[in-house]
Amino acid sequence: MAYIMLTLLIGMVLGVISVASNPSPYFAALGLVLVAGVGCVVLMGHGGSFLSLVLFLIYLGGMLVVFAYCAALAAEPYPEAWGEWSVLGSVLGYLLLVVGAGSWFWGGWYEGMWVPVDELIEFSVVAADSGGVALMYSLGGGLLVVSAWVLLLTLLVVLELTRGLARGALRAV
Amino acid sequence: MNPFILSILLLSLGLGTTLTFASSHWLLAWMGLEISTLAIIPLMSQHHHPRAVEATTKYFITQAAAAALILFASTTNAWITGQWDINFDLHFFPASMLTMALALKMGLAPVHFWLPEVLQGLDLTTGLILSTWQKLAPFILMCQIMPVNSSLITFLGVTSTLVGGWGGLNQTQLRKILAYSSIAHLGWMILVMQFNQQLALLALIIYIPMTFSTFMIFKTNSSTTVNTLAASWAKTPALTAITPMILLSLGGLPPLSGFMPKWMILQELTKQDIPLTASIAALSALLSLYFYLRVSYAMTLTISPNNLNATTPWRLQTTASTLPLAISATISAMLLPLAPATLALLSL
Repeated sequence: MAYIMLTLLIGMVLGVISVASNPSPYFAALGLVLVAGVGCVVLMGHGGSFLSLVLFLIYLGGMLVVFAYCAALAAEPYPEAWGEWSVLGSVLGYLLLVVGAGSWFWGGWYEGMWVPVDELIEFSVVAADSGGVALMYSLGGGLLVVSAWVLLLTLLVVLELTRGLARGALRAV
Repeated sequence: MNPFILSILLLSLGLGTTLTFASSHWLLAWMGLEISTLAIIPLMSQHHHPRAVEATTKYFITQAAAAALILFASTTNAWITGQWDINFDLHFFPASMLTMALALKMGLAPVHFWLPEVLQGLDLTTGLILSTWQKLAPFILMCQIMPVNSSLITFLGVTSTLVGGWGGLNQTQLRKILAYSSIAHLGWMILVMQFNQQLALLALIIYIPMTFSTFMIFKTNSSTTVNTLAASWAKTPALTAITPMILLSLGGLPPLSGFMPKWMILQELTKQDIPLTASIAALSALLSLYFYLRVSYAMTLTISPNNLNATTPWRLQTTASTLPLAISATISAMLLPLAPATLALLSL
């Protein structure tokens, strides 16, 4: 199980490198799919299956799809792909950064963070993730209202930013 | 802008800062910061000028990166110490990350580079909101995580005062001058924050009316460069006489109010036995004072009986309220005798 988790975490870090070194937004979105997918499996390994499901649905199935459509609106006919030499430079740079960060945290009690173990899964009555959602709807009522308000505010902000037809730098197509 | 949208955005701006002030949980504090960032974005780009949109984009990216770093630092702290309460001391590693994230939020050197460009792309009213209201929430979080990593805080403070002084020397655009002024003042606040949060709050409380007055004066004169200020004597002679007091108060010159925080901060730094830092900070205030003096020279010290530098424009009666500027200008210039009362009121 530890080896599976290790493979998944390595896959996640490699996905993050691919997102950061993206030659064009489509390939960054592809990298994001990989990162989110692997992250969801890591989350499931910790017992957060509900949160993983919600992440998949909303993040990948909602936000990333909208982003992909928006990126397609600004399509260029010949986007840079990962085979270009310039991309290799940034990939190597980020790999070096990861190795550096890894070596900085190597040893000591930090090493325990490399392959985490499921905690408390045999000792809980309510799963932590879905129990948390239930808590937000009951005791955390104020925070729920604030979160709903923030979502409405985001909608209004986006609508206000893209108001009008062909004016300024932001253009509603 | 549609008045309903405008009121929703302004109220959400207030909500965000209030949430951060009222929170004892790091997630709620982060949420408040994000709400204020979101709410000010359409205000910044309301004129849909490409320069304004560029400023909005730069602001959004830096603030989002800082907020993500805050979230990461508080999550790491929750992992290590097991709790999310702001009142408990942070572990040293997330504390340093959080300090850098809050420095990026506020515009402290060496992560200050976004502030002059963003402020330059905004109109004066939105720039005012950015310089004053948006500094409150990260400032209060910074106050609550003290004391943390003394060398980092001192480095941030001294670098900010020096960058604020040197960066503003070559500027002719008033908004960039005010951006560097903001960096320098925040540097002073950070320097004393690790020793006495009351004095940092005093510095902020004196800084806000001074900056408010300066922005309102520039707005009344409709001027964004130093050169256009030279015609201010023909538009508003009273303001032309008062503005040097406000600007020199920003520079920290006695007997104006701006001297109060600097004096108290230098006294506190000396009591803490770091006279070298105090001397460097005091000398860097000279740099800022020079460009404030330059602005006041161009505006006021070139008036009659020198040669006239502008023809008189039409002076029509303004419909805008002059009360806020009157109050803040009085506070920025004349509060020094009330220093003991101000300090007593700030005992937290």
